[in-house]
Amino acid sequence: MNNLIQHIFEKIEELSPIHAKKLKKNLAGFDDLYYERANAFLHKYNQFLMKNDKTMDYAIDCYLKMNADMLAETIDFAHTGKYSSSKFEEVNKRVYANPETMAYYMHGLLLSQFLWKHHYQVYDYYINTLPTYATQVKNYLEIGAGHGLFISKAIEILDPQTRFTVVDVSPTSIDLAKNFIEEGRIHFILSDILDFSEESCYDFVSMGEVLEHVEEPLQLLEKIRIMLTPEGTVFVTTPTNAPSIDHIYLFRNVKEIQALIHEAGFEIVSEQHFLTEDVSLERAEKLNVSIMYGAFLKKRKTNIS
Amino acid sequence: MELNDILQQLNEIFKDILDLDTLVLTPETTARDVEEWDSLSHIQIIVAAEKHFKIRLTAQEIQALENVGDMCKLVQKKSAQ
Ligand SMILES: C[S@@+](CC[C@H](N)C(=O)[O-])C[C@H]1O[C@@H](n2cnc3c(N)ncnc32)[C@H](O)[C@@H]1O
Repeated sequence: MNNLIQHIFEKIEELSPIHAKKLKKNLAGFDDLYYERANAFLHKYNQFLMKNDKTMDYAIDCYLKMNADMLAETIDFAHTGKYSSSKFEEVNKRVYANPETMAYYMHGLLLSQFLWKHHYQVYDYYINTLPTYATQVKNYLEIGAGHGLFISKAIEILDPQTRFTVVDVSPTSIDLAKNFIEEGRIHFILSDILDFSEESCYDFVSMGEVLEHVEEPLQLLEKIRIMLTPEGTVFVTTPTNAPSIDHIYLFRNVKEIQALIHEAGFEIVSEQHFLTEDVSLERAEKLNVSIMYGAFLKKRKTNIS
Repeated sequence: MELNDILQQLNEIFKDILDLDTLVLTPETTARDVEEWDSLSHIQIIVAAEKHFKIRLTAQEIQALENVGDMCKLVQKKSAQ
């Protein structure tokens, strides 16, 4: 383990021993490639924090605050069987448009990308698959980029001529991604994706963990279908049973997600799902353990031409 | 309800959820002492305890718990309300 990972782990063990058990298992199971990537990321992230007069302890604090929110939401979910909010305006006001909450949430999420097994697995799936599209993609759109980690990788992987656009509804996310990536090539747009243009020009649309943040995910997928070129690709991820301060649409199982994708006129090119706890699939279903679903999609061709 | 009764009943809940037949809890027991008491089982324990004692706990109350003794006191307070 390198120093930064060690430091993060020890700090979390001190402040949140129950959660640290899960991290310990995760860290023990990761391979060398993980440590290489995590070290590179944490090094860059640490420098970014220092430049902004912050420390890794700030990020750890953010991460634990996010976890505390999730615990509260999980308990509420156990009581009601529903997510605590169902309206976009409500979470927009409370989370996306609230700089304090959104800052700790996005920093926490960024760390989770390398601390949670399923988050790292999604990241791994993305950066392993994206090179397949490297020569085809000319115009890349990322919806709800949040901290910007995924698009920062896309810039490294895709052709240098590619145009990059981010649409995010949160000023805090846009600010964070802009500063974290330090890449002048990305065009950042502050907007609700549902109010964004309908021009059919993007040949790659990436949308990680946004589908569960909208009231009508079918409408969002249909909109993406319109914005996508005929041969374009979509990368989408979304979890089942994942109570969180800003989740409003509840997918109860992976089948529901797949059905929605088909209903919106897409075909699944490849897909993966990752359990968020170390249990069997059977137990996961029984205990409503969250599953992270990720897929690459393309438009389904209709017979009528 | 007496604290000791609550402790005995919580012990049964822990045994059941953690699948540890010989587990003996004391007021001083913390998650550091019981390997299987992790974030997933923690939620299950809370939800099972709520059901068993017919109480509802808030996230703040749960987060303030340091050990099993705190849990017993919280259950006692909530079930007296
Ligand atoms: C959970 S974060 C996802 C971050 C990153 N894509 C990932 O996969 O980890 C969700 C992001 O989507 C943004 N978002 C939520 N609803 C949106 C909407 N209707 N339009 C645009 N962005 C939205 C939020 O502001 C936030 O930055």
